[in-house]
Amino acid sequence: MDDVISGAYVFTGERSAKSYALNKMANTLSSPGNRTAFQADEAGYMRGLGCSQEQIGLVRDRDWKGMMEHGASIYLLLKIGAAVGVPLPEIGAHTAGLTLAEYHARKAN
Amino acid sequence: MATVIGGIGTSHAPTIGVAWDRGQQNEPMWQPLFSGYVPARQWLEEVRPDLFLIVYNDHVNQFFFDSYPTFALGVGAMHAQADEGWGKRPLPDLPGDPDFAWHLARSLVADEFDPTICQEMSLDHGVLSFLPLLTDTNWKVPVVPLAVNVIQHPIPTARRLYRLGAALRHAIETYPKDRRIVVFGTGGLTHQLHGAKFGTKNAAWDNEFMDRLETDPVPLSELSIQEYMERGGTEGVEMIMWLAMRGALGKSVRRVHRNYTAPMTTGYGLLVLET
Repeated sequence: MDDVISGAYVFTGERSAKSYALNKMANTLSSPGNRTAFQADEAGYMRGLGCSQEQIGLVRDRDWKGMMEHGASIYLLLKIGAAVGVPLPEIGAHTAGLTLAEYHARKAN
Repeated sequence: MATVIGGIGTSHAPTIGVAWDRGQQNEPMWQPLFSGYVPARQWLEEVRPDLFLIVYNDHVNQFFFDSYPTFALGVGAMHAQADEGWGKRPLPDLPGDPDFAWHLARSLVADEFDPTICQEMSLDHGVLSFLPLLTDTNWKVPVVPLAVNVIQHPIPTARRLYRLGAALRHAIETYPKDRRIVVFGTGGLTHQLHGAKFGTKNAAWDNEFMDRLETDPVPLSELSIQEYMERGGTEGVEMIMWLAMRGALGKSVRRVHRNYTAPMTTGYGLLVLET
């Protein structure tokens, strides 16, 4: 099976292992207390959970495309997005290399 | 003896829950989707099921990749709601049916399906987005949830899920209590949540899938996971769970209702079949 299909990343074991700390950090954002702690100090929160400088930088830059290239699961990106107030259309558009406006324009055509 | 009285295939999506909670059922964008559930709800009121057996997928809310089960069965008396990151919705916990669920566990393992058995299993939008559209939210009908890994590859084949459906039917028909059971398969239909084709749907394939699921499901069970992802997106591969529902219904079925809309990023299907 291909591990990239139509420009999308198949979430393989290899990707899951590479992005594990980032996904694990995102998974903790399922509780209100953790979301508050993350919002107060994103980098410190991530460092405390074993994320690398590269992973901390990807989240700091809201580089959703970079996070997918790093191997993250889209479902964990949605949890980070929920904690920082960025919804799916904006995340998805970014992973496609588009702004939200460009994405809506593409959809309309 | 318990019987399978029918099956429901339905998409699920967090946005459905948000729209429902906000009372947007009659807004132009949502009305075709929500009104599409009305005949399904009426059918459920007529056939009076005692139990819903729901084959669904968790979206990394109950389970994380530290230990990710391929199949997982909820045998608890209650199923809590998972906080998916946006906070919990105003819905009560769902009742389960431990007696049936443990019977199902024994029967599945005897049939060489080996789910992880979960006495606690919180549910996400994979169940809770569509359920309020089909029943009152005082949850009179208990739910036995069966989660399938369709997220972290390798994931089970479409054929495996179709065969799982036959094993579900066998379990139901060997349950000694009189129970009228509706089997659900939920997920899909086509959607792509990331990458170059973000937001792409395939309405032609969605409708062909629903056609063939009803009348000739075996060839659908023979398609590879790669073919499902090429046609319907890496996330749209969830649609293979509809095959478990169809496999539980036996050879011929009668269609009660069908609906298809696509208001957001997901091709959103609904299919009600009677045995």
